[in-house]
Parts: sequence; structure tokens; C-alpha cells
Amino acid sequence: MDLTTGLLAIGAGLAVGLAALATGLAQGRIGSAGVGALTEKPELFGSILIMLALPETLVILGFAVASMIILLLKTGA
Amino acid sequence: MLLPMAKIRIVGAKEKLDTTLCAIQRLGVMQIQDVAEQPQAPLLTKLSLDASAVERRNEISFLVARLGSLAAMLPQAINTADLSRRYDAASLMPTEELIVDARRVVDELGPESQALALRRDQLQAEEASLTRYQATLRKLLPLAGEIPQLDGYETVALLIERRASGVLDLVRQQLGELLGDRFELNARHVDDQTTAAIVVFPKEQSARVNALLGRENISPLRLPQELARVSLTETLATMERRLAEIPREMARVDDELRELGRSWGSTVALLRAVLTDRLRQMDVIGLVGATRYTFVLAGWIARRDVKKLKDTLAQEVGHELLVEELRVSGEELKQVPVALANPPPVRPFEFLVRLIALPRYGALDPTPLLAFFMPIFFGVILGDIAYGILLLLLAGLVLRTSRRPVYRSIGQVLLLCGFWSVLFGVLFGEFLGALGHQLFGLKPVWMERSGATLKALFVFALAVGGVHVVLGFVLGIWEAFRIRSHKELSERLGKFIALIAVFWLVAIVAGKLPRDLTTPGTVALIIGIVLLSVPMGWLGGLLGPIETLGLVSNVLSYLRLAAIGLASFYLAEVANRLYGISTDVAIGTVVAALLHALNLAIGIVSASIQSLRLHYVEFFTKFYESGGSPFRPFKQSGV
Repeated sequence: MDLTTGLLAIGAGLAVGLAALATGLAQGRIGSAGVGALTEKPELFGSILIMLALPETLVILGFAVASMIILLLKTGA
Repeated sequence: MLLPMAKIRIVGAKEKLDTTLCAIQRLGVMQIQDVAEQPQAPLLTKLSLDASAVERRNEISFLVARLGSLAAMLPQAINTADLSRRYDAASLMPTEELIVDARRVVDELGPESQALALRRDQLQAEEASLTRYQATLRKLLPLAGEIPQLDGYETVALLIERRASGVLDLVRQQLGELLGDRFELNARHVDDQTTAAIVVFPKEQSARVNALLGRENISPLRLPQELARVSLTETLATMERRLAEIPREMARVDDELRELGRSWGSTVALLRAVLTDRLRQMDVIGLVGATRYTFVLAGWIARRDVKKLKDTLAQEVGHELLVEELRVSGEELKQVPVALANPPPVRPFEFLVRLIALPRYGALDPTPLLAFFMPIFFGVILGDIAYGILLLLLAGLVLRTSRRPVYRSIGQVLLLCGFWSVLFGVLFGEFLGALGHQLFGLKPVWMERSGATLKALFVFALAVGGVHVVLGFVLGIWEAFRIRSHKELSERLGKFIALIAVFWLVAIVAGKLPRDLTTPGTVALIIGIVLLSVPMGWLGGLLGPIETLGLVSNVLSYLRLAAIGLASFYLAEVANRLYGISTDVAIGTVVAALLHALNLAIGIVSASIQSLRLHYVEFFTKFYESGGSPFRPFKQSGV
């Protein structure tokens, strides 16, 4: 494995890892606020579920970028 | 679909109001609207209960509460078929007779059942208390032999944390200063954490000794009154005898309560239900309007039930009532309550739509679309024959054991999800990950979910996303056209054209369409952005392109169908490899089974949430008009 391949692989890892970290941070805040809201208004469950799942788009996009890098690696190889 | 509703107005002589309300409540198909919300409200006065009716309402309310507490005390031994028959008959009884009956039941049954319930509570409390004392006294037992039994002396037991046992020296010193040599304090470590001590002192010094212990923050062990005068050994023996007696005594009390439940349970449940109905009738009176001699009552009813209501009122109240269907004005459409009425295969998905919000009356009900797409998305994500079969078994178990409608709905949804998981498992050739391939050469019918075909899997997920989002826009455009909303029509049409143009341009970049078509694609994109920007006013120039990027993000979001499915596949593979690592077959099997169970649990939760999210966020936002209020007909509480 040469340096370029290694750096690309690290880039793929960072793409998905940092996106997952950001998603986790966002979900943590939304989740804690959501649980607080649910104790007051249980009927908000659906809306809170949506808000909780919203930041996951970040990690999905990170995953897409990482996968594209890996595909690039395979094509290069 | 949404049940078509009609607005009904009933006008009749005031003396017919009670009978009319009774008939409407028994039929249970009409939601009564507050007179203040009706267009002719200024011409009507709002009815209210007079002083005697308020008094009667308070009495009924009290009796319902008493009957409720009696029902909670008595074990349920009710024959529901018999009760339903009696309920129908009791519903026709005059309220005064019901009140007399309820008073009699409360007076006759109340004291006896309360005494039994109290006795039961006392026995439970005594059992809990004796068990606690027993454990504590056992710790003090080693000191028991060292305590002299003297008349005129009091014995106090102390339990102290072992690490704080030094405080006993201080207590001994202070007792010496207080009582001289007229006391005895024996202490011993009874286990790793506890030091037990017993203090004997003259009874007349009780207050001073207790004050001293209080100052040192030591709480003496208080024994039940009847055990305070005997020795520890005797106390323990007495406790054990009592603990053996209590369950027998409780069983006797339970038998008596059960007997009471058999004799009175049905009557209590019946009177409670019928009186609750009468309370609701009284509460509804506040919604009714009136002129000098007539009442005016309006409300919503499913169109299919209008004839049934007219016939019932004619039969039970008479032909003096005027029952007419009113025209619903455009403004009133917002107030029409919503009832979902889908065919049985789609009905279980209604609760998933209610989770976010009911559709506005007249809007499109998304339940059939959710029922079609959601299990397919779930299947794409989970996509494993073994997991799908386990899910089918779980769904079967839920449906077999559960009677609550919401659990049955979940069971039916899981059943469909399980079916699609098995189907996509066959297409992907997965049985506990790649184990099926290793064990019995299972091959994918369509494509393998692994690195080799990653690109194809992504294209598939994006294609599903494209179709789903485009379908959402088509429905949205149709809805906007149907309600003649030019603003929404322009915005949705613009987004639709922009999205198609993006697909077009991507196809050109990917070499699937000739480069000559770039100009029409770019023009379509610009037209789309302009159309969607127009309703936004002067901000449109800025927000339009951002919205277009949002559309691309909407489609990319469907990549989760592939991504989460892949994560599930690789976790299954980890489980299979862990089995291979262990030299012990049993340990390997247990570890692999546990990891597969975990993967299945995660798979079920994440596949459900992600499929729902794709609908709620990516799909519904293109056409869904929420904000309907649920249809709540005025009906009997039932037994």
C-alpha cells in the first residue's frame, strides 16, 4: 500500500467518523430536550422522533463520501 | 382514506333534550359541536345546568368515584356477555333510579369491602415490617444472651455502621456521666458492615437517654409495641410464627374479597358505566344552544351514518325533532374532525400516521402509501432470510398474545416487514449474513450486499429515493391543483422540475445521456428554480438555489437504505467470525447467537425508525397537509 492509498483510506475514515461524531453531538442535544418535552406532552412523540432522526443525514452523507473514496481506491487499484 | 363527514343540526322542544342526548349517546356516531362555534350562535343562548341539576351532577360524580374505588378493591370476576345485556337495559333507566341503586350499593358494599381491603393492606404492611425487623434482630441475636432481663429497666437496640462504631465509646462515656453505673452497653461486630449494640437503663431515664442518642444522631431500633417487652429470642420466634400466619390470613381475606367480587362486581361495573354516561350527558348540555322553547344542537357525523341517526331519533324521540344536514362553508372545513377509514390491510398503519399528526379534512390520507412503501424499505434495510423469519415469528407471537389494538397493529406491521425482509434476503442471498452461503451455498438471486456490488446497491437506493420523492411531488402538485393554491402549485411544480433537471444533468455527467442535452437540462433547472422562488418573494433569489440543494439532499438521504443494511450485514459477519475464533463450539455458538440477537434487535429498531423517517421527512413534506382534529363521537363509556 503506497502513501496516497493510505491517505485516501484515512480520508474515508475521517469522512464517516467526523460526520458520526457531529451526528452524535446533535442527537444527544435533541434527545435530551426531546425526553424533557415528552414528559410534558407525550403526543409529541412522532415530531420528536423525526427531529431525532434528522441529524443522521450527516453521517449518511459522510458514509456516501467515504464509500466514494473507497470505490476510487478500488478503481485505482 | 378519510371518512366523508356531514354537519347535522337538530332542533326540538327543550323537554325532549334529555331523550335526544340519550339516543345520540347510545348510537355513538355524532360529535357535538360547541354552540359558540356555530354561525347562528348570536341568536342562541347557551344552555347550562340549573342548581338542582348541578347538585345531582355532583352526587353522580361522587358515586362514580366511590364505585370506581370499589371496583379497584374487588377482584374482577365479570361475565362480559351478561354485563353487556344488562348495560343496554340499564342505559334506559331513569337517572334517579340509578342514583338510588348506586347509593344502596355504596352503603351496603362500601364498609365491608373497605374493611377487608384495609385488613389486607395492614397484613401486607405487617409482613413487610416483620421481615425487615427479623433481618435486623438476627444481627442482634448474638448479644441477646448478654442482656439481663430486669423489671423497671428499658432495653434499646442500636445498629451502627461498623466504620462509625467509634461513636459507641462516646455514647458509653456520656451515659456514664448521665446515669453513673446504672446502665449496661454491650456491643459486637455482627458482620462486615454492621456493629450491633444493646443499651439497658432505668425506665425513668428513657427520655434523657433517647435525647442523648438523638444528639449523637443514632436512631434506636423501634420494635412493634407487642414485642417490646419480651426477649430477643422470644421476639424472633414470635415473629416467625406471625410471618407463617400472615399468608394464611391474607388468603382468607382474598377469598372474602373474591366472593364479594362475584356477588357485586358486575353491579358495580354496570352502575359505574351507566352513571359515567349520565355525567357525560350533563357535560354535553353546556355545548347546546337554546331559544325560549327549543334547543339547537349541531355536530359532525360520518355521512354514511346520517340516515341511521335520523331513523334512531325518529324512533326513540319522535317526529317533532327537526334533523337537517347543513352545508359546510369553506371556513368551516378547518373545523371538520377527521376519521381515518382504511381497508383492513392498511388499517394497522394508521397509528404511524397519527404519530406525527392527522391529515387536515379534505387532504390526502397518506396511510395507504405508507402501508405500501414502509415494509419494502424495512425489507431493503434488514434483508436477511433468517432475521425475516424470526421477525415473522415475533409478529405471530405479538398477534397471538396481545388484545390491545395498538399492539395488534404493531404485530401486523411487523408481519409485513418480516415478509419483505425474507424476500430481500432471498434477493441479496443473505441468511445470518453470509452464513447461508457458507453452510448451504445460498446465492443471491439479484445482488450481493458487499464491497463488490457497493456501487450497484447505492444506485438502487438512490433510484428508490428518486422515485419516492418524485411521487411525493406528483401528489403535492395534484393536491395544490385540487385546492386551487397557486402559491403551493408554483413551489411544488418548480421543485419537481428542478429535481428532474438535476437527474437529467447527473445522467449526462455519468455518460448515460448525450452531452447535447445539457442545454435543455440547464434551462429546465433554471425554470424550476424560478418557479419555486416566485412564492418566496424577494428572498426567493437566495432561497431558491438552496431549496434545490435540499432536494438533492432529500434523494441522497435514501442512501441510508443501503448504508444501514450494510452495517447490519457486517455485524452479522462479525458474529459469524466470532464463532470461528473460539475453539470451544458451545462458547462460539452462544457468542454468535447473542451477537445475532443484538443485530436483529438493532436491525428492527433502526430499520423501523429509518423507514419512517424517510416517509415523515422526505416523502410527506412534499404533499402532506396535516392539522386535522380527531373525530370524537359522543358515545357511551361501555363496560
